[in-house]
Amino acid sequence: MSDAVLETGLGSRRLTSADGARRLFGARLGQRVARRAAAAGWLLIVPAVALPVWIVGSERGWLAQQILPRPADVLHTFGEMVASGELAQHAGISLLRVLFGFAVGSGAALVLGSAMGLSRRVDEYVRPLFTAIAQVPALAWIPLAMLLLGIGETLKIVVIAKAAFVPVVMNTSAGIANVPRSLVEVGESFRFTPLQMLRHVVLPGAVPPIFTGLRYGLTHAWIALVSVELLASSEGLGYLLVWGRQMFWLDTVLVAMIVIGVIGFVSDKILAVVETRLQRWRTDGV
Amino acid sequence: MASDSIDPAPSAAAFRRGLVLPLVLLAAWEVGSHSGLVNPQFLPPLEKVGQVAWQELRNGELTFALATSLKRDLLGFALGSGVGIVIGLLLGLSSVADRIFTTWFNGLKQIALLAWIPLISLWFGFDETAKIVFIGLAAAIPVILNTVEGVRATSTRLLEVGDIFKFNRLQFVWSIYLPSATPSLLTGLHLGLIYAWLATIGAEYFMAAGPGIGGLIISGRERFEMALVLLGIVVVGLVGFCVDRGASWLERRLVSWRTV
Amino acid sequence: MSVAVERSDFEVAARASARGRLDVYGVSKSFAVNGTQIDALQDMSLHVAAGEFVALLGPSGCGKSTLLRLIAGLDSDYHGSIQQDGAVVTGTSLARGIVFQEPRLFPWATVRQNIALGLKNAPISEAAKRDSVAAHISLVGLDGFAEAYPHQLSGGMAQRAAIARGLVNRPRLLLLDEPFGALDALTRARLQTELQRIWAHEQITMMLVTHDVDEAVFLGDRVVVLAPRPGRISRIFDIAVDRPRERSNDQLIRIRNEVLRTLEHGGEGSAPAGTARSVR
Repeated sequence: MSDAVLETGLGSRRLTSADGARRLFGARLGQRVARRAAAAGWLLIVPAVALPVWIVGSERGWLAQQILPRPADVLHTFGEMVASGELAQHAGISLLRVLFGFAVGSGAALVLGSAMGLSRRVDEYVRPLFTAIAQVPALAWIPLAMLLLGIGETLKIVVIAKAAFVPVVMNTSAGIANVPRSLVEVGESFRFTPLQMLRHVVLPGAVPPIFTGLRYGLTHAWIALVSVELLASSEGLGYLLVWGRQMFWLDTVLVAMIVIGVIGFVSDKILAVVETRLQRWRTDGV
Repeated sequence: MASDSIDPAPSAAAFRRGLVLPLVLLAAWEVGSHSGLVNPQFLPPLEKVGQVAWQELRNGELTFALATSLKRDLLGFALGSGVGIVIGLLLGLSSVADRIFTTWFNGLKQIALLAWIPLISLWFGFDETAKIVFIGLAAAIPVILNTVEGVRATSTRLLEVGDIFKFNRLQFVWSIYLPSATPSLLTGLHLGLIYAWLATIGAEYFMAAGPGIGGLIISGRERFEMALVLLGIVVVGLVGFCVDRGASWLERRLVSWRTV
Repeated sequence: MSVAVERSDFEVAARASARGRLDVYGVSKSFAVNGTQIDALQDMSLHVAAGEFVALLGPSGCGKSTLLRLIAGLDSDYHGSIQQDGAVVTGTSLARGIVFQEPRLFPWATVRQNIALGLKNAPISEAAKRDSVAAHISLVGLDGFAEAYPHQLSGGMAQRAAIARGLVNRPRLLLLDEPFGALDALTRARLQTELQRIWAHEQITMMLVTHDVDEAVFLGDRVVVLAPRPGRISRIFDIAVDRPRERSNDQLIRIRNEVLRTLEHGGEGSAPAGTARSVR
């Protein structure tokens, strides 16, 4: 569908149903490879233009070293950090923090969210307070947490957990509460026990939104990790950013940023794949 | 099951129940603080927080800090959303631009927002410009994403109608793509506002110097004045809430033609 | 109700020269689905006189909507030739209006604005456009709803607006793809009567695709019955009943029954394509 719109946007080729047929069915391997190659070609335009400009610019000293380091320097720093294990160390610490904090936060969130979704009473009691807390971003909580918890590991885990907590609760409670009434009635007509209802009606219907919540939670957890490491850490990727910044080592900053981006991308992709699998299973079932 | 009843307006009973937890919490807070069970430094009694709030309001500090923060917020938002709409439209309408830039954009978007701060501060320093650039960046991302999606989701059925009436490219964009993308665009702006506020606080944390609510919180922490920190947090939450509600209301008003 | 609309020189000339004749010569179209060829249309030939009302009738899969889209110019991937008034159809044109099953009104525009959209590229003055829009709103019986938004309209009203939009360019040929399929039976009957009136008033060629036998027989001068797999003409019926027609007309009912029989036998013992049989 999006292909169709793209073609009839500012592109000049008119759409025919033949395009649809060709696109949906019978694309031979050769065509597919050619298409992938073409896509890759387009992708390379940006670096093909940016890279030479970067290289020449830094050689000619158009901008100070701190603003535009030489690409060679960046690569060199990257290589160094990998070789010395420094990168792995910092990245590893950050990852551990995220995973732990995310596990804690989303675990608690799944419990609370389920309770809120299953019982209207619980929802009534908890939601106002929850919404109030949700209004304040994890970022704003950090100084408070720092006052209460110091700047140790607990601080980081707590902040990350809070960041993951909110979206997971929201999506879990909504996912469970919004299981279609019509399906619940089918279960009732077969006199399902509460456990059966949970297993066969509620959970399958709620899993996709819950999973989406988990994805959001991970993204937020990652952002919270960076913020807390920027503010109060002596190791980790966020720390690398701060240190590089203070020492005016832009190459270090860039390397850290790229690693953060890559890890974020990979973890999100993994969850996306799992999500698609779950969705497919769900539509098959219905 | 919570889904048992079709959502009626919250009854008075539900409202009361909702108040229980917060009231209990506040009561526990008061008791804990006064009785000395919890170190009053960690948990100042509510009156103290109120007192500090009143004080700050009186000497104009709070108002000034809030005004400064909001100004940055709006400037950054205006910058970010303006640029964002343009980029979003470009990526959405032009398959060429999409093929060249989208993947790179998606890649850059993966870098946690706050991780950009050191880079931006290296490029722009710590002053207003740097903060506004950062806020603009935060606002631009959801605006771009939602604008692109809005344009892409334009119904091919409506595009066919344009084809039948021999619309030229400009007519397609102005009369079909743009109005069709408006709901998504507004959602993007709504999200942009939320992220902009977040980024404002973040910018104030990390690019310290200068007034602002973020600065208020930081100085509260440095001086171990919990009351100040709490005040700051409440203000952040309140502004965030108002911004969100305001944006929702505006969204509903502007897109009254929606069938859904 | 009579509607007076100022006609520009362009329109007068257009009306005189192009009369809305349609010729379909040996059109074939196939799709490839998972490697197998599906013949949506096979060597379809059809000739429609100017001002005629032709109904294309058939079950799903007989290619009737496909043929309509080819005639409209929305699709140009086929074998054979389609000509309107001697000019080969190479794409969409303001000389061919089309009404879809969904109204496809722009949700952000009022009824008036939606109809006016059709005139965006018409070479007539602004004043003439305004008049034309107003006239067509009246024509379809939507007076008073000009400023309403699509979400405020019922299905029937939305379709009327879509018909008005299809006619606002005064095309010589109006194509309708199951326009009343999504409406309830009562509204459908009412709109069929409306369409009959509009056709008589506008005197343009209309081609209606439907799977509803009653609709086809009620509205058409001729009913072209199509059979599926491959899509081809099964039989063509002349409906020689005077207008305005009553659904209770005995002759009409007899014809309707025969058409239904042909439809149900779907291709068995069907006469060679293009044979017209007059039924009294």
